[in-house]
Amino acid sequence: MKVSKKCVGCGQCAAYCPYDAITVFGRAEMNEKCVECGICVEYCPVCAISEDK
Amino acid sequence: MKAVIIGAGLGGLLSGAKLSKAGYDIEIFERLPFIGGRFANLDYKGFKLSTGALHMIPHGSRGPLAQLLREVGAQVKIIDSNPMAVIRTANGGDIAFHDFRKQLPLTKNVKLGTILLFSRKFKPKNNISFKDWILKYFDDEFLLKLADSFCGWALSLAAKDVPAREMLEIIDNMYKYKGSGVPVGGCGAVTETLADVISSNGGKIHTKSCVDKIILDKDRAKGVGVNGKTIDSDIVISDIGHFDTSRMYECKNDEYLGKIKDAKPSKGIKICLSSDERLIGHSGVFFTPYAQRINGINEVTNADPNLAPPGKHLVMSHQAVVSDNLNDEIALGLLDLKRLFPDKKYEVLLVQSYSNGWPVNRVSSGADTGNKTPIRNLYVVGDGAKGKGGIEVEGVALGVRNVMREIGV
Repeated sequence: MKVSKKCVGCGQCAAYCPYDAITVFGRAEMNEKCVECGICVEYCPVCAISEDK
Repeated sequence: MKAVIIGAGLGGLLSGAKLSKAGYDIEIFERLPFIGGRFANLDYKGFKLSTGALHMIPHGSRGPLAQLLREVGAQVKIIDSNPMAVIRTANGGDIAFHDFRKQLPLTKNVKLGTILLFSRKFKPKNNISFKDWILKYFDDEFLLKLADSFCGWALSLAAKDVPAREMLEIIDNMYKYKGSGVPVGGCGAVTETLADVISSNGGKIHTKSCVDKIILDKDRAKGVGVNGKTIDSDIVISDIGHFDTSRMYECKNDEYLGKIKDAKPSKGIKICLSSDERLIGHSGVFFTPYAQRINGINEVTNADPNLAPPGKHLVMSHQAVVSDNLNDEIALGLLDLKRLFPDKKYEVLLVQSYSNGWPVNRVSSGADTGNKTPIRNLYVVGDGAKGKGGIEVEGVALGVRNVMREIGV
């Protein structure tokens, strides 16, 4: 998953991620547990996450 | 009569509940997969965190939001905080919020009493900031720090960025409605209960439904476009702020556009902590005027233990963002927490920051432009159009009340 500059770091994606694959500290970052399922995309309120690698 | 509402945040849901109760046919369109916006629960590691606001209602069971919830039949239990708030002083001791005047030298104390008693008379007509207003009348370091702590906690702004007249409205409201409370079940209980009220009144809420345009007929809105479909409506209420609303139709009113373009959102950082033992010990606000960044903290599990797994406590701190370096701001916040609770063991659950398109408030308090738009039957509610003197969700409730008055509900 790719996180754009629009990310504000609200942590919503981390809470909805079923794989505990997102850490948030000012902005979201996917860790090695990410399986590219794309669930985070639709929960992002500022449309900052895309499936482009 | 049909009303379409754009956005299922607190403002949209309150409007929907009020209008559906009055017999309106309601349809709410929410672009995200969940309702509640920044007043929803976020399940995380067994805790009920929140999407945005803390699990608090600034004026508790007596305030404008609680009143509106009662009116529409939304049964939410609000536990009023006792003590209302506690202040950590410079020497590390704690005092009750209403005793803060005792920290002042006698002459300043008497002066403050007089000003609060006759606050209407002292209300500035110009745009003097709350900070400059304090400097003008008191020039007292403790009061300045407390003002920053309070403004940061309640509005996510520094006292220098809040107009004194807005702050004095807020102080009036604090005397009128008193202090804060915690909704049982958290923010999410409020918005979910409102959604239930709307459904039981026959209203519909669609998630994952993005409104892409507001359709006009001269100076009236006649409906909205959603996912390629047209929905006719007699009234349109937008819960997405003036600016984003104005981009959904061809707005030709330059004066209005100029005014809403200048509105700045407020930024904040919330740090959620888990602890086996109590860090604060009550459900009131813990103001920290002498911390570097943290403005205030609350421990909501003292009001509702079910917001955390059994045996755990949920603590949330809030700080306004004062520099452009978000990482530094967060690091300073974490350092503050270490210094405030040096002997306690806690775990940082999640650090949440808010700005730009997902801010603390779409329009900083004191800069609201009201709920009307150049389109007669198009109104804006929510944190981009709060009522005067309304802190956070209380301002949302006051704004919704203004719109309902306009509509005649």
